[in-house]
Amino acid sequence: MSKSKSRSISKVLDGVSRRGFLRGTAAGVAGAAGVAAAGVSGSGRALAADKTVKIGFLAPLTGEVAAWGLPGLYGCEIWAEWVNGSGGIQVGGESYQVEFVSYDNEYAPDKARTGAQKLIHEDEVKFIMMLGGDTMPPVVEISNRTGMLVSTLLPSDLTPDTPNLIAPCEVHPIYNVTGVEWLAEAKPDLKTAVICAQDDALGRPSVATYLAAFEAAGIELVDEPLFFDISTTDFAPVMTSLMAKNPDIICLDTCYADFVHPLTEQAFQQGFKGQMISCTADFYDQMIAKTSAEFLEGFVFQFPDFDDPALNESFVNFQKPNAFFSEYAKRWPGEWGAVSWEYASIMDLWRAGAEAAGSVEPQEVLTAMKAGGTGLHAFGEAKWWGQELFGIDNALVGNWPVVVIENGKAVIKEYRSIPDWWSKHKDIMIKHFEAMGEMFYQRT
Amino acid sequence: MIDLLLQTCINAIYAASFMALIAVGLVLIFGVMGIINFAHGELYMLGAYVVVFLYADNRLPFFLAVALGLIFVGLVGIAMERTLFRPMRDNPLGGLIVSIGFLLILQSAVVMGFGVRMEHIPPPTQVIFHPFGLEGVVLPLQRLYVIAAAVLLLGALGIFLRKSRLGWALRATAQDPEAAALQGISINQTARIAMCIGAGLAGVAGALTAPLVRTYPYMGHSVIVTAFIIIIVGGIGSLEGAVIAAVVYAFVHTFVTTFADGVIADIVGLLLMLAVLVVRPTGLRGTRDRA
Repeated sequence: MSKSKSRSISKVLDGVSRRGFLRGTAAGVAGAAGVAAAGVSGSGRALAADKTVKIGFLAPLTGEVAAWGLPGLYGCEIWAEWVNGSGGIQVGGESYQVEFVSYDNEYAPDKARTGAQKLIHEDEVKFIMMLGGDTMPPVVEISNRTGMLVSTLLPSDLTPDTPNLIAPCEVHPIYNVTGVEWLAEAKPDLKTAVICAQDDALGRPSVATYLAAFEAAGIELVDEPLFFDISTTDFAPVMTSLMAKNPDIICLDTCYADFVHPLTEQAFQQGFKGQMISCTADFYDQMIAKTSAEFLEGFVFQFPDFDDPALNESFVNFQKPNAFFSEYAKRWPGEWGAVSWEYASIMDLWRAGAEAAGSVEPQEVLTAMKAGGTGLHAFGEAKWWGQELFGIDNALVGNWPVVVIENGKAVIKEYRSIPDWWSKHKDIMIKHFEAMGEMFYQRT
Repeated sequence: MIDLLLQTCINAIYAASFMALIAVGLVLIFGVMGIINFAHGELYMLGAYVVVFLYADNRLPFFLAVALGLIFVGLVGIAMERTLFRPMRDNPLGGLIVSIGFLLILQSAVVMGFGVRMEHIPPPTQVIFHPFGLEGVVLPLQRLYVIAAAVLLLGALGIFLRKSRLGWALRATAQDPEAAALQGISINQTARIAMCIGAGLAGVAGALTAPLVRTYPYMGHSVIVTAFIIIIVGGIGSLEGAVIAAVVYAFVHTFVTTFADGVIADIVGLLLMLAVLVVRPTGLRGTRDRA
């Protein structure tokens, strides 16, 4: 039943009117809010619907990486409804409704370029949110030319040549150090590890991060990282290779959800008895269905379900996380994933920047967001950071949760400080980034 | 070490079985119709989605869903022959282009019907064998199904082509369509049968492996690339060559992945194709003629 419901929504999103979906939603909510408000409090609220700011959503909505784009668009829909329904954002004494305009870049650079041009020149958006990675270089070029503010979930996109690009939410892959650090403390008997990843802009910097984290934690890598092509269909040989070294830990790096599932299934089928760690475990309920709750017990990753009580801590800067999760699960059962909340969280930061700047213009919002060198990240106060690793302080870095599957459910075990880890082990991280050719001066 | 070698061999036998089912169908269509069917990967994808719809969503028995997948995709093949390829019979480039167009239509149709995300298909069985009594060597029953299906279906196809009148007609058409027509063989009928069998093999490969692989609307891409490498190595138009090449490619790719790297394995696979083309431009079992 739940599946058929999600199917019907996917059908609407995918085939009929995805691009206009949030536009319509925002307009509908804005209209409804305007009508309701006019009846209740007169022209002041009715005027609120007169101004609209458009936000571009330029991420993969189809294809292999869609799991890190489309669920974020779903989250933005809820964000827009909540914000617009409560009167919009207040900028320079005026209320603005927020309208999302999405463009499916299919995780293809040429599509990302076309999408950025359309969003900027035709739709006149004031801010563009992206996943990043392989799709970022052509958009950076356009951003530098137009001054458009762009966000990425992957700070490894940052270089000194990306002044308008920010990573205000997800500090991928740096936060992965927190999972390894926690694991080493919680299970000190684990001494050896192996790692695999798809060979791309998501996989390689993440491998460098995990290598650094393992080294810092005193865990030995017993084999070279195993890279596979993104066209791989059968993961049995990959898992056979990983298990051949009899490691205590198998690390799945930042493998796409489509890879984490078959790799985990292969580990189960080939009889792996040790510890697994991964950046993500999207749709882990399906992984349990294909393996067992016992097998997945203790699986460490980095992305919580937002119904977790630990998200109600006072330092968490995300509006009603439990209610957000509940609403999300009601609309799209079984669709919650790593990025479901992230783009909405970025919008919280953008909104704060716009309201502080008294403007929605990209450069003014950027200046306001970075004022004082700190910002309110979803998981607590954070600082704008990255000079040593990315050549620019455009990543907002603070705490990140360590999540473990316990009794078939993702549970936040602890929040850990990324800056604290960095202050102790930055030389190791830089060493591995250099070895992988991922330092900013090697990428530019 | 012996466990690792045996496990790698088992992985390779599975990969060879899976790829042979797809590559033989592609070769059969090319051999009889002279058309490079770029939509073959999407026929494989369609087979997988029949299992998604019937088995995962509507709880029909797995093997019934697989059988219906074979039939459904075979019928799609017949429809393709009649509506797309027959009008392009004298225009190989046209056939290629319509197959690319149909590929996009199939992908879009599945996206509209099922969404873009990887499908969750419950395993039909979680039985795992330990061949040779070795604890470190595993052969899941699901994978054994694929190996068995490949042996049975490809064996049956071989017998059909050699022992039946329709099989002779197919081979005659593949060798020389005009001469076959002069002997009273219906080119339309042989094309229809070739398309039905070729598509059905791709469909059954997709249906059987759906719980084992990433099932999503674009899953045909990677498969068709490998299938083309295999039929080039085997010799375009040669069914035996396709089977031999599938085995060779699968063993090389699986062993290199296990003992080196998946990316290196892809490179080695392409080098294998280049080496065969240099030493034997017609492929392992190909001839200078189409078949």
